[in-house]
Amino acid sequence: MEAEVVEAEIVLPNHLSYKKIQMYDKYPKGQARGRYWKHLKQIIQAENYHNYPPEEPNYVNIETPPSMHPCKRICDITGYEAPYFDPRTNMRFANADVFKLIRSLPNEYVQRYLALRNAAIVLK
Amino acid sequence: MPFISKIQRQSDYSLFPSTCPIVIDNGGSYFRIGWAGETDPRVIFRNIVQRPRHKITGETVTIVGDHDPALLKYFDCTRSGPRSAFESNVVYQFEIMEYILDFGFDRLGADRSQVDHPVLITECACNPVQSRSKMAELLFESYGVPSVAFGVDAAFSYKYNQRLGICDNDGLAICSGFSTSHAIPFISGEPVYAACCRTNVGGYHVTDYLKQLLSLKYPHHMSRLTWEKVEDLKMEHCYIAPDYASEAKLFQNGTKEAEEKTRCWQLPWTPSPIEEPPSEEEIARKAALKEKQGQRLREMAEAKRCSRINELENELKGLEFLLQQLKHVEENAVPSFLSATGYVSKEEIESAVAKVTQSLRKAKGGQVESEEKADPSAAEKYALIDIPDNMLTPEQLKEKRRQLFLKTTSEGRQRAKQKRFEEELERERQNKRDEEKRLENPELYLEQMHAKYKELSEKVEQRKRQKTNGGHTNGNNNGSGGVGRGERLNAAQKERMRLLTTAAFDRGKGEDTFGIKDEDWQLYKLMSKDNDEDDEGPDEDEAELARISSRLRQIDPTFVSKSESGSTAEVPRFRPLSKEDFQIMLGVERFRCPEILFRPNLIGVDQAGLDEMAGVSIRRLPSKGQSLEERITNSILMTGGSCLFPGMDERLEAGIRMIRPCGTPIRIIKASDPILDAWRGAAAYAAAMQFPQQTFTKMDYYEKGEDWLRRYQLRYTI
Repeated sequence: MEAEVVEAEIVLPNHLSYKKIQMYDKYPKGQARGRYWKHLKQIIQAENYHNYPPEEPNYVNIETPPSMHPCKRICDITGYEAPYFDPRTNMRFANADVFKLIRSLPNEYVQRYLALRNAAIVLK
Repeated sequence: MPFISKIQRQSDYSLFPSTCPIVIDNGGSYFRIGWAGETDPRVIFRNIVQRPRHKITGETVTIVGDHDPALLKYFDCTRSGPRSAFESNVVYQFEIMEYILDFGFDRLGADRSQVDHPVLITECACNPVQSRSKMAELLFESYGVPSVAFGVDAAFSYKYNQRLGICDNDGLAICSGFSTSHAIPFISGEPVYAACCRTNVGGYHVTDYLKQLLSLKYPHHMSRLTWEKVEDLKMEHCYIAPDYASEAKLFQNGTKEAEEKTRCWQLPWTPSPIEEPPSEEEIARKAALKEKQGQRLREMAEAKRCSRINELENELKGLEFLLQQLKHVEENAVPSFLSATGYVSKEEIESAVAKVTQSLRKAKGGQVESEEKADPSAAEKYALIDIPDNMLTPEQLKEKRRQLFLKTTSEGRQRAKQKRFEEELERERQNKRDEEKRLENPELYLEQMHAKYKELSEKVEQRKRQKTNGGHTNGNNNGSGGVGRGERLNAAQKERMRLLTTAAFDRGKGEDTFGIKDEDWQLYKLMSKDNDEDDEGPDEDEAELARISSRLRQIDPTFVSKSESGSTAEVPRFRPLSKEDFQIMLGVERFRCPEILFRPNLIGVDQAGLDEMAGVSIRRLPSKGQSLEERITNSILMTGGSCLFPGMDERLEAGIRMIRPCGTPIRIIKASDPILDAWRGAAAYAAAMQFPQQTFTKMDYYEKGEDWLRRYQLRYTI
């Protein structure tokens, strides 16, 4: 290891005196299978929130409901207000210039713009 | 970067008694650790872990937090990017969490056999019990922590500001963090989680939105738009528009105000060196070089010519000597004498002499006049031609055939010469006529010439196009319009192709009647490859075109031949990259990106924004009452890193005013330090005398079980 790296101590030492179980004991090398961590979706599922009274706050029911305001649409490319919608690409646009641009965009870019507002076609 | 990590190792760990709690603010973006009762955390670093390989030794190492990128050059970071223990705002990856805690305790100076201090660590509101228990387990099992307490960062921040007198006993904390935003109401100093709400939009989404938008807008500079850089841009330039629609309108109309609001990031750019025209000296030098080379070639040619002349002269001398000798030889001894020299007759030697002299003259640079000279002697030269075949010997017959051939070729040559001469005359005459016309009315003449030139060039062009591009005449003369095989064939080839395919298809159909009619066989002629030579037509046109263009060039200095201009236009001209190509403009993006905090549906999150969250939260309160609601709206605290955007408070106030009844007192306050207040609040809380009652030990945890841990909640007012 280079001197300046050692100097800066950016690398976490393998053995730490204050630990009761060291990392290399807990997660032995080459046994990656024991390290599976539940993702948030699975954690929430395992919580079984439906077994508890609904007035008790939990991670799921404190989520904010959808907005009551009418949702104003903005142009996917420019960010201006978008009165128009292109049925071919599903993009929203502000004016004719942007429309021209949209029609000249390759599909990959269209999908990336749509992905920004979670409207892209996702193949599973 | 406004947030500067503090990762100096602390040396005073042993000075703290084991009752002094360690306070950790485990935030989505930053990890802060320090001692209870202090005003600032001791160690701050980004809550990320990288596990790159060392480039030389190949061992996998763990690097926690952000470091000087210059030090990371020794590691191969391509295979593992920075990873976080969080998903949304919940810790789920406890291996990464453990590395982070390791590093945090290490930098705090821990050096004993275990971390012998109570720990207060923050978590999100309504943290799933699985995450909470795993965290407790980790702290107990791995570090030997005696007792643990969990609290919510937004609540600590509110309590801290309450202590500072910034906000009241009843109020609302709007905390916009890294990956989520919360609104938590407080009644008599205690958070009411039943009434809180969470929207899954935070600073991460703002940065990501900005990054995506910029990389879509500037695909060439994608590599420059790193996460860290975009985060910097966001913190430096983004603001919240008081009214998005009218702000966007400003930009749409291209007003001066919008121009002033547009920020520009100039990427490093060095102008490409301008090609200087070669200097006088250089031109002279090049000309001299060329001249020298020409001289050498000329000398070589001269030497060659000399040696050839020499050779020919020698040969001539030899032949003349032979003739001379032949004179002395008697008539009957001639064949035997000649057999030694390789010649058959005297005539042959003479003709050889003539040939050699002619070529010698040619080599010496004299005109070839032999033809004219030969003319008068044509009668004797072609002596045998007029004599009928049957009167000749076989040799004479052969000779006659030769003479016949010679005669026809020389005659043909003469005819061609005549024709050329006539053409020359004709051209001369035409030029004279043109000149006359021009002198009569120069403008009209020029115009006519131009018209004629245009017409002809179009004609030639079209023919060329037809040849290369089949019948494809849509003005697409560069030929890039057509793809496919058919487009590449010319008309004749196409026709051939058609014949071949029809012939191939006809084969299988019904009775084979091919060959019954004689015309059928013509098909093969049409199919044959040598059929696609073109007629003389275009050549004439081209010649005429060349004549006109040369003429035009003479009389019109502004004239540029189309083929020349066309060829320059066809080469795609590369515009030299300018300074503007290396600029990243931030216009609408400056307020479009933070706008998602107020309108999450812009990025497809179907939840209410910050302003509406206040209303939702108040609606959810279990105890209603106008006075309580008014007290709450009179003390709305903004905290969390995403509250730092300029214009946040005005926008929030306007938004909340819209959804609250008319005349409601609304007071929006920014936290004293939206980023560090959570840790400070927690540190102050942990320093209180009653803090140990809020913690739980490993024994408690294992005795009381998960259900108890689920309901575990700090009392913030102690």
